[in-house]
Amino acid sequence: MTAQIGALVTTHLSDRRRSVLAWGLPLGLMSAFIVAIFPSVEDSISKAVQGYPEGLKEAFGIGQLTNVEQYLQAEMLSLIVPLAMGYLAVRAIASGLTGAAESGRLDVLLSAPVSRSRVVAAGFLATAVELAVVLLVTALLTGLGSLLAGAGLDAGRAAAGFANVWPLALLFAGFGAIAAGFSLRTPVVTGAVAGLLVAMYVIDLIGRLDPSLGDLRYLSVFKYYGNAIEDGIEPLAFLGVTATACVLAAVGAWLFERRDLAA
Amino acid sequence: MSETPAIETERLTKRYGSHRGIEDISFEVRAGEVFGFLGPNGAGKTTTIRTLLDLIHPTSGSARIFGLDSRRDSVAIKARLGNLPGDFGFGRETPGREAVRLLARLRGVDGIGRAEELAERFRADLDRPLGQLSRGNRQKIGLILAAFHRPELLILDEPTGGLDPLMQEEFLALVGEERERGAAVFLSSHELDEVQRVCDRVGIVRGGRLIAVERIADLLGKARRRFTVELRDPAGLERLRDLPGVADFELAGNRATFTAAGDLDAMVRELAGHHVVDLEATHPSLEEVFLGYYDEGEGAS
Repeated sequence: MTAQIGALVTTHLSDRRRSVLAWGLPLGLMSAFIVAIFPSVEDSISKAVQGYPEGLKEAFGIGQLTNVEQYLQAEMLSLIVPLAMGYLAVRAIASGLTGAAESGRLDVLLSAPVSRSRVVAAGFLATAVELAVVLLVTALLTGLGSLLAGAGLDAGRAAAGFANVWPLALLFAGFGAIAAGFSLRTPVVTGAVAGLLVAMYVIDLIGRLDPSLGDLRYLSVFKYYGNAIEDGIEPLAFLGVTATACVLAAVGAWLFERRDLAA
Repeated sequence: MSETPAIETERLTKRYGSHRGIEDISFEVRAGEVFGFLGPNGAGKTTTIRTLLDLIHPTSGSARIFGLDSRRDSVAIKARLGNLPGDFGFGRETPGREAVRLLARLRGVDGIGRAEELAERFRADLDRPLGQLSRGNRQKIGLILAAFHRPELLILDEPTGGLDPLMQEEFLALVGEERERGAAVFLSSHELDEVQRVCDRVGIVRGGRLIAVERIADLLGKARRRFTVELRDPAGLERLRDLPGVADFELAGNRATFTAAGDLDAMVRELAGHHVVDLEATHPSLEEVFLGYYDEGEGAS
């Protein structure tokens, strides 16, 4: 069993090796640029932020922008990186399930003594690894940008900030597995889960902007995302979201076992 | 050789809402037998195969492979079979060798020597990405993936599509060798010639239903044969017209042509009383038999 999942994960990662550069490079370069310009824009940004409405600062998690970590959080880790990684997660798991069905590979794989649950488990594990590697590349490039520009980014805090994106993104891989239990069309799966990703972000935003709607935030994973670059990783949230992602993938595998494999 | 049938279906039915899939398909494929599954596109051949492989689930009925339930024991069954899907694909960028290695690991097969032998035999390029190969060359990779682990049952859906005539011959030879080895082969096709040459029995599927399962020889034997008879005295020919089973009778001088089905004893006895100058009997091709089944069906409907 382990050997089969290992073989499937290795193949999945090999197929998706380009995504590490396709996603890690632009995100990493953008992050590197953000931290690299911080020393030159620090004063003007701090003054500008003081004039922002409190609600807006609260909504986007901007307390103060007096250090490079806060700036990285505001510019990258509060919106761009989580949304991009959430979308990447759906793309990655869809390629192993719906993409494989569309290419005919799934028929061949399932001609071997492999259960559908193992195919889903392998896709989910491979996605988890791919997300970690893309985040690592992004973090390394960000650190390199800071080093070259002398921005003074704290490596440990930055690492926590990027690592905290991983369970959030993985959750959407779990939703992707469930969606593949209902449809074998890649555009349907990626579209539906990307819509859910944006919806959760908007729900969280509304809850932050209007305290009377704060309870809505429980519907969104972004409530549990926090601000790890400043506050450190919240272990309960990190493990809870990761566990929820695994449960969703398990439900997806259960649905996938029961559906007809015909698009 | 095992007494347990390689495949056994019992009223296997698959419906897609109001759309027809397959209906009450019952047949058996024995170990060491090559079974042809004949029908035009859309008749239900692929649906039957996908149901056998547990890729789609039957609405009712059951399928047993090696005596095991096709749904409950799907993983155990697949350890013992090889499958070539009708529209073989594996991803455009994957070279054949990588696909073989993955399948070998999934099957727990040590080494890919047999796959390399087959690649040499079929002149298949294992090192080029599948997306760069022609349909026929991709099909060769599919055949290798289906057969490299020496399965007890080969399920082949339209296996020779895109293969050139030389490779089709090689494929038919391989099927013969698999049978010699004791493997069962379930071969879906609309290429009647290859079915006639390699299959022991055929099932003919029409409109989602299995309308006949016969040994090839029986199927041809049951069909109407065409006769041309030339007698020295043409007066005797008219009596042939009234014999049981004779049809399409045409008389021209002292020569008659007609078709006859079933037992020929009466015709032989009748001819024995005359001076026969020439007698020619032509067996119909499987294609004619097959088309006959389809014509009958359309007439009935």
